[in-house]
Amino acid sequence: MNAEGMLRRKRLQSLLLAGISWPCFMGQFAYAQRMNSGSLLSFDDMVQPIVQGAKIFKKDVQIEAPILADNGSLVPLQVTVQSAMTDLDHVTHVYLLSQRNPVTQMAVFHLGPWNGRAIVSTRVRLAGTQELVALARLSNGEFRYKQMEIIVTESACVDAS
Amino acid sequence: MNTARMQWPEPVRTGEVVKVRVLVQHPMDTGYLQDLTGKVVPRNIIRLLTCHLGQQEVFRVEPSSGLSANPFFEFYVRATVTAEFKLEWIDDKGQKGQHFQIFNVS
Amino acid sequence: MKSNRQPTGQSTEREGIDRRHFLKVSGTTSAGMSLGFFLPERAQAADTPQLNVWVEIEPNDTIVIRYARAEMGQGSMTSAPMIIAEELDADWKKVRVEYATAHENLRTKRAYGDMASVGSRTIRNSQEYLRKAGATAREMLVAAAAQKWNVPVTECKAAMSKVTHIATKRSFTYGQLAAEAAKLEAPKTVQLKDPKTWTIIGKSIPRVDIPDIVVGKRQYGIDTQLPGMLHAAVAACPVFNGKVKSLDASKVENRRGIVKVLNLGDFVAVVADNWWRAKEALREVSVDWDVGEHGTLSSAAILSHFKAGMEQTELAVARNDGNTTEALSKAAKVVEADYFTPYLAHATMEPMVCTAWLQGDKLEVWSSSQNPEATLAVSAATAGVPQSNVKVHPVQLGGGLGRKSPQDFTKQAVMIAKAMAGKPVKMLWTREEEIQHGLYRPASLMRFKAGLNASGKVEALHIRVSAPSILATLLKLPLPRGVDGQAVACFNDHPYDIPNSLVDYAQRNTNVPVGFWRTVGHSQNPFGRECFIDELALAAGKDPVAFRLDMLPNNEKSKRDRGILEAVTKVAGWGSQLPNGVFRGVAETEGYGSWTACVCEVSVNAKNEVKIHRVVIGIDPGYAVNPDNIVAQFQGSVVHGLTAIFWGENTIKEGRVEQSNFHDYRMMRLNEMPKVEVVIAPTGGFWGGVGEPAQAPLAPALVNAISAAMGKRIRSLPLKNHGLTLKA
Repeated sequence: MNAEGMLRRKRLQSLLLAGISWPCFMGQFAYAQRMNSGSLLSFDDMVQPIVQGAKIFKKDVQIEAPILADNGSLVPLQVTVQSAMTDLDHVTHVYLLSQRNPVTQMAVFHLGPWNGRAIVSTRVRLAGTQELVALARLSNGEFRYKQMEIIVTESACVDAS
Repeated sequence: MNTARMQWPEPVRTGEVVKVRVLVQHPMDTGYLQDLTGKVVPRNIIRLLTCHLGQQEVFRVEPSSGLSANPFFEFYVRATVTAEFKLEWIDDKGQKGQHFQIFNVS
Repeated sequence: MKSNRQPTGQSTEREGIDRRHFLKVSGTTSAGMSLGFFLPERAQAADTPQLNVWVEIEPNDTIVIRYARAEMGQGSMTSAPMIIAEELDADWKKVRVEYATAHENLRTKRAYGDMASVGSRTIRNSQEYLRKAGATAREMLVAAAAQKWNVPVTECKAAMSKVTHIATKRSFTYGQLAAEAAKLEAPKTVQLKDPKTWTIIGKSIPRVDIPDIVVGKRQYGIDTQLPGMLHAAVAACPVFNGKVKSLDASKVENRRGIVKVLNLGDFVAVVADNWWRAKEALREVSVDWDVGEHGTLSSAAILSHFKAGMEQTELAVARNDGNTTEALSKAAKVVEADYFTPYLAHATMEPMVCTAWLQGDKLEVWSSSQNPEATLAVSAATAGVPQSNVKVHPVQLGGGLGRKSPQDFTKQAVMIAKAMAGKPVKMLWTREEEIQHGLYRPASLMRFKAGLNASGKVEALHIRVSAPSILATLLKLPLPRGVDGQAVACFNDHPYDIPNSLVDYAQRNTNVPVGFWRTVGHSQNPFGRECFIDELALAAGKDPVAFRLDMLPNNEKSKRDRGILEAVTKVAGWGSQLPNGVFRGVAETEGYGSWTACVCEVSVNAKNEVKIHRVVIGIDPGYAVNPDNIVAQFQGSVVHGLTAIFWGENTIKEGRVEQSNFHDYRMMRLNEMPKVEVVIAPTGGFWGGVGEPAQAPLAPALVNAISAAMGKRIRSLPLKNHGLTLKA
């Protein structure tokens, strides 16, 4: 089964499990796959190893990054998670996950109430146009996430066929 | 010897939540690139970076090769009392780095 | 050059749209219509409503169709709108094509999708959403007419910019329906036409840009003129990756017309009131360059470097079927050969040119670029302004050929504009700068080793490539398993039924920067492969065409290899009697999603002059959108290809490229052009590229013919190095 078929199957599974919608991926998947070297992961491939069945909701997370990245070696991004950051209710981890990079987990940040805000920034390498997922783990064991497609304009050169 | 820089807006008042910037000089070699002779430049990245404020660890990040060279981070920290920031990191080669900077809180 | 036409009197900006489908009405008086709708994929996106505007219809029935990529003579500015017009059932005579811009694409969150004209991908990657775009608009127009007549849509038919009620023969023009249709909700799914019913796709419609080109009206990047515009000539370090140590501009600073001399780190710029003055002054700016350790690099050293790669033990394996090493050791007959292809500069007729104007934190750019989005992103980053403050004005390119997709020259222009803040600056490279600061087609050493059994069947094939990696060096992409797909193109995916196939790759980068030259890996690898296959046919005592057909398996993909090989050899009359001294050569390969083949007929005289009697070259692109344009692309590819085959090479001495202009980087002449017969054999069911595939089978077909004529194998290009020239 190819990546697109796998995605469809997993997407349906996910929809049944936790009401996640993964709308943007579908049409773009095969298209983006043709564009670059390296294969694209499904959402589940990316998050399940970390989430492992815990509750995950698409909310409370923002990603600030350029839609068009001029340089795949240096893409600035900021992740904000809505949280009071109290002792009882705070973000414990923020994961940056790549759909296409050779290493899926780009970084994991450990946070706590001492941070006051669950906002982290860094600069990442993107091996081509892909979806990025910012995944936050809360102190109650639940997860929140946001995904964003970043177009790496230079890698458009790569032949598809 | 890698150098690091830390920066935050001053002055800092007690109770404020302050944005801290960190920049560490490090090539973050991915292990995927080859030099001119075709030999793979072995992977050497910072795999752990921590920041303590006094005794309290206030920031920890485990990077991968997916972070850019000369890693840059921004995080927030609640200011309570004046203390010393201790930034530490270690890379794949086992090379450790440290940077100290006083965090003045008035 | 037309920019995005803004309707007057009505705001085109709609923020915070909650309707899934947004329709824009254009025009002031009676409303024309712009049919905005979502790409069906994006329609699902809940977060941010997308806005796609491909079609606008004016009350006078003019249909404005947007084209979202670059036009560099490849003709997709005509073919892509043809696809929309087909599903739209438009009267092509009423169509006007306009560019979509990168800044509009950014503002609408990429409603136009990818804007890069690279990889022969425009038609094949966009055809689906373009067809849907046209079909959706058509269905809304039909629905509007049906509504007006109060009849079911099934009783109405759209054709030639009109909707007709079949029974009563009443009709409305699209212009009459536009306003009503604009109020309707776009259909969620649309029925696309059966290709057998196409009336526009498949026609040789003249390119929309030709009339302006012929009368000299067409605006190329190099034609950009702005009030108060300054001109910049630039020079980067002749040794690649060198930097400016210091410069002395005392001789020219105070010259008439010279505005400023800039040291911009890795290049020097002279800004003047006209380009001639800038360029002449630049020659007299003395620059002390820091060339690092690269000042001794030579072509000989590079070849040694590649040869060392052949012996290296750490290799990236691209294909490993069976047990090739073992099969080779047991083979009845072993054939070995090394092939070599050189570095090649693009030599686009229009050198690198970009005009940039920074006013405060607003930036406007006119860049002859194959990738307007990359232009926007790089310009914004270089100028340090937000991407939303950048306008990239579309211009026609005087040739792209893959050189104008990377944005190195755009970056230079914006850096200069930043230094000359407030004034527009047009930066133009000299031909010398273009040839010596290329992103060259990588030179490549290819080693072939095959084992045949007693009856001449190929049992094992080992191909090793020792060459630079474009993906790793230019794009800094991590390579899956260390393999650069371009370096092993047509090797790792060869179609032949050879049970033991091993393809491996030694990445051997040099200080010579490499990039995407038209046809990329397929511009050199098929030369090695298809010439070597001929060597095997010779060793097996078989006819080259029959040999190939025997080796092609019986599966879906190979059907296309077979099909195009048979189609082209049929037109070429392969096997028929040739006059004395005339020989044929053949080659076939897949590339860019299409299948191509070529047969050349040549004779070589005692003076080693090659007379090309015939070039028969064909393609199966799945669907042929504009046949005459395909013929043009193929004829042009033959020009580009023969130029490279006979004379093309950039040699390195003391770290720099030796060639500088057309006197030593020779182009083909008009009178040397042979007759080119193009065979278009679309088999349907897939969409393949057209811009680049033609070059792939040309070199091997020609060299196979020449080798046959001379009775000896030729294994490296260019042919001039073998004492061969092209006879007019």
